[in-house]
Amino acid sequence: MKPDVVAVGGGLAAQRFCETLRRNGYEGPIRLVAGEPERPYDRPPLSKEFLAGSAGADDLALRPARWYADNAVELLLGERAAGLEPDRRRVRLEGGRRLKYDDLLIATGSEPRRLPQFDGYANVHYLRTLADAAALRAALTPGARIAIVGAGFIGQEVAATARRLGAEVTIVEALAAPLERIVGSVLGRWFADLHRAEGVEVLLRRTVIGLKGNECVEALVLDDGRRIACDAVVVGVGVKPATGWLQGSGLSPGGVAVDPEGRTAIPRVYAAGDAALAFDPAAGTHVRSEHWEAAARQGAAAARALLGLPAEPCTPSTFWSDQYGVRIQHVGNGAGADSVELDGDPDTRSFTAVYRRRSLPVAALLVGRPRELPEIRRRLARHVDHQEQDTGDRTRSRNAPADEVLLGANR
Amino acid sequence: MPQQTKCYSVRIDETACLAHGDCVDVAPGVFELDDVAHVIGDGPPDLILRAAEACPSVAIIVTDADTGEQVFP
Repeated sequence: MKPDVVAVGGGLAAQRFCETLRRNGYEGPIRLVAGEPERPYDRPPLSKEFLAGSAGADDLALRPARWYADNAVELLLGERAAGLEPDRRRVRLEGGRRLKYDDLLIATGSEPRRLPQFDGYANVHYLRTLADAAALRAALTPGARIAIVGAGFIGQEVAATARRLGAEVTIVEALAAPLERIVGSVLGRWFADLHRAEGVEVLLRRTVIGLKGNECVEALVLDDGRRIACDAVVVGVGVKPATGWLQGSGLSPGGVAVDPEGRTAIPRVYAAGDAALAFDPAAGTHVRSEHWEAAARQGAAAARALLGLPAEPCTPSTFWSDQYGVRIQHVGNGAGADSVELDGDPDTRSFTAVYRRRSLPVAALLVGRPRELPEIRRRLARHVDHQEQDTGDRTRSRNAPADEVLLGANR
Repeated sequence: MPQQTKCYSVRIDETACLAHGDCVDVAPGVFELDDVAHVIGDGPPDLILRAAEACPSVAIIVTDADTGEQVFP
């Protein structure tokens, strides 16, 4: 009898898992359980093309409807997992239905971290799903005053799209520089300047201490007493794994630790994407990567592990962002970087920053320089190989995050 | 002298391609998506270049078919 495969999660990781199983000859039953009503779709455009109105919901589908019929992948849409019973090899759904599995993928992704002070207001938006993006899109009208809480990638991309649509935008960020934990404070400030040059008001080291308005937020009150009048609020203060349903299963409801090939502590149970904390040999620790490319790779890796196929070579992690027509790419892991070397002129929106640790390159930020990505990726990959040979063990302590060093060096 | 039309040859770096699908969106007659993108046809040079620039993984390598010179990346 062929084993029964269940993938819980309707995003990229689950989709790539199913595709990789079929491509490598797995012929048994596959069920994909998606919490949202849509077939698996691509999320990056939700803050860009879809939000701007240049792409529709149909454009986002990862595969056309017929792919699921052709590949005998049964879709259970709008079904949320409510519990895992590993001893009985069953997943419990919210409606009470139980799905028996032989092999399971946990890929329920992440959900926005919510700020309770904004609960209950009609014009407060979070951005994760197609439905979230459709609701926000309606608010981004010319002249609308949009207040964005958090200057991470979601906040920045929403700001860029909102400006393109003619809205007035204010970003409120608690840190001294946007993205400073990833790129350090100096280059973090470059991101603030990018938005300012496009007419966005960027307020750093500011927090929201109160709200004005009853059903709708009419103004944010900041810690310096200033009021930011607004027609809509977007909260983008990070995400957390959507793994609460694993409570009591033996796996952590705070994100599922897996080896580099996606195996959890429970045999024949795998995890991938935002729901997973993957062991990263380069960082020497388990890390959660909230990025598209990690979800794609991890979903495929878990399928290969399930089939007993050899793992694909480890490559440096990459993510990208598009803002105001500028492509921004990041590769590697800047944790513990002790120097940063800049090539190009930040004022021209074309530069490369290479982060080094003990003189070896560990990460790079490329702004408007896509042509340099392949070479930098190769340089970093060589270093990853070197490191693995170098340490060989998985017990060494975690390095300091980039900002601890770079902030100290640059402040 | 009559102006020569440029002719590009396109190759996918399969180790870099993660099947984002942006190339297929830009140039559906040139690229097709499987586990990685594949080149299935020809297209005007500017379209090919736009597809290559759209790729977040920079996995599309464009060369001038006449001179062999790499045009992108």
